[in-house]
Amino acid sequence: MKDEKLRQRRLVYYKEDIDQIDKLLDEFIKLSGSVAIFLIDKDGHLVTQKGTAPSIHPETLSALVAGSFAATKEMARMLGESEFSVMFHQGKKENIHISLVGERAMTATVFDTQTTAGMVNLYSKELMTKLEVIFNIASKREAKEHSLQSGYSDSVKDKLEDMFKE
Amino acid sequence: MQINYAKKEVSCKLVYYGPGMSGKTTNLEVVHQKVPDHNKGEMTSIATEGDRTLFFDFLPLDLGKIRGMTTKFQLYTVPGQVYYASTRKLVLQGSDGVIFVADSNADKIEENIESLKDLENNLKEYGVKIDELPVVIQWNKRDLPNALPVEELEKAINWLNAATTEAVAATGEGVLPTLKLAASLILERLNSKEPGAPTSAKAKVAEPKEKKEVYVANINADKISRSYFNQYCQIQYRLATKSNDVEDFKKFSTEEKKKLLDSLINYVLLLQDSKARGIQADKDHVETQVKSFGRKFKSQEELDDYLGRRRLTLDNLRNEATRNVIIGMVIKNVLPNIDQRLKISSKEVAEYYESHKGAYGDKTYDQVKSSVVGRIKATRKKELLQEFFMKLREKSTIEIFDSNI
Ligand SMILES: Nc1nc2c(ncn2[C@@H]2O[C@H](COP(=O)(O)OP(=O)(O)OP(=O)(O)O)[C@@H](O)[C@H]2O)c(=O)[nH]1
Ligand SMILES: [Mg+2]
Repeated sequence: MKDEKLRQRRLVYYKEDIDQIDKLLDEFIKLSGSVAIFLIDKDGHLVTQKGTAPSIHPETLSALVAGSFAATKEMARMLGESEFSVMFHQGKKENIHISLVGERAMTATVFDTQTTAGMVNLYSKELMTKLEVIFNIASKREAKEHSLQSGYSDSVKDKLEDMFKE
Repeated sequence: MQINYAKKEVSCKLVYYGPGMSGKTTNLEVVHQKVPDHNKGEMTSIATEGDRTLFFDFLPLDLGKIRGMTTKFQLYTVPGQVYYASTRKLVLQGSDGVIFVADSNADKIEENIESLKDLENNLKEYGVKIDELPVVIQWNKRDLPNALPVEELEKAINWLNAATTEAVAATGEGVLPTLKLAASLILERLNSKEPGAPTSAKAKVAEPKEKKEVYVANINADKISRSYFNQYCQIQYRLATKSNDVEDFKKFSTEEKKKLLDSLINYVLLLQDSKARGIQADKDHVETQVKSFGRKFKSQEELDDYLGRRRLTLDNLRNEATRNVIIGMVIKNVLPNIDQRLKISSKEVAEYYESHKGAYGDKTYDQVKSSVVGRIKATRKKELLQEFFMKLREKSTIEIFDSNI
């Protein structure tokens, strides 16, 4: 029981899922004419990204996006909406479009004047449906034999020791 | 925690919790200062002007590749002030461990207790029991003259029996040992409780017996199942209907169904034939068609509304576009003399005009000439296609199971 709970909280992504997801994201970028897309889980971890936005630090973006999405979720709750599924921030040159993927994740799409919000929205709706399918399959898949090498934790501790030498 | 076997990456989330002004942000700043550059990203703070945390501080740490896995810690602080309760809870979501920064100041004992209870409650709302999560309590501000002795703090606050450290975050003392301790606790977790023990009870749930497929037609090597055909019918209806009152499930007469099956068979034949000839619908071409369909609508909302009412997806549109593109290509490739056959003499036009005069009202021959040409061409094209499909059918094996339709 405890393990089951832990498993739900621990997000495990396997290669076959990410490969499929990466393919969808690549296609999305091409079709929508976006600059980059980041798939982020609700806890703020970056899952995968496609395209290039050199000015963006992916981890920081992930934390901010997950945080602001969680905040809008609260706002939605106040309004009696179950949640807002899309958020859009418009800049002078670059824009960001954030969209919820089911319960567990969200995408952040960076785009510029090469395309329009409408296009991004249109293709991201389709992308969300496809991603949800993959997520659903992935979440039902039986957890695989764990393959972090033995001694992994100890090695991390050694590394921390080394890093934190004062 | 995220374990990403595709990116070979482990990412843990660690949250600094505690009452307002206890020194959470200071802890993070110290970590930021002391960790080597290549192991850290920028520190991001969403704070008020007075440096009080408004939403969170964030600092990503990258330990590099360890036994094949790039290992990352994402450090967050919550806002300690009482009235930021809801944001505090949001930041806590999915955390793998907590460093509770307690203020040793004798006047702050109640605030510490309140905050720890608040932590316990918020975790509970995420379905996490606090004693199942790695928690380190840091007795901070040990330098204060009115700091309570650690034994007293223990007694008053540490009812969890959590691991503890002492610190003076303002000078950096004790900050890294606290982080190291919390990280080790998280990692020990990873050792002892691997996810992945197969949950056999769940796995044994019997799959529903596979339903026996019923087929409506065999076309050469391809079979069309009834469920696929039914779906095809519904989608054709939704694509074609002009009305905005779209029926959830359109019922068709046998006659209509036979017609639809006929069109589906043609499509399958077309696909088989084009495949054999190595003709493929160009993806860009298909997308262009889909986009030009989208442009027929005044706004994004209108398109959304149109598709939404019809429960159509872009893929449905793409399939239709693909069919059109292939038809276009096949016409060009398979019927090379098409232009010749589509040449229309002025005599034909005149004859058509004469026999359909009624339909053109009082418009003169010159006024309608081009539209007449278009009309004749369309009819001719249809005939040619029909002819093409007839030929395909002649050399194909087609079985139709009427009783299954
Ligand atoms: N004397 C003393 N002061 C400290 C210590 N650690 C932090 N402070 C001071 O306490 C004040 C508040 O510190 P912050 O790190 O901003 O506190 P916080 O917990 O992030 O506060 P919120 O963001 O409002 O929740 C600052 O003025 C710090 O300099 C310490 O060990 N000793
Ligand atoms: Mg702070």
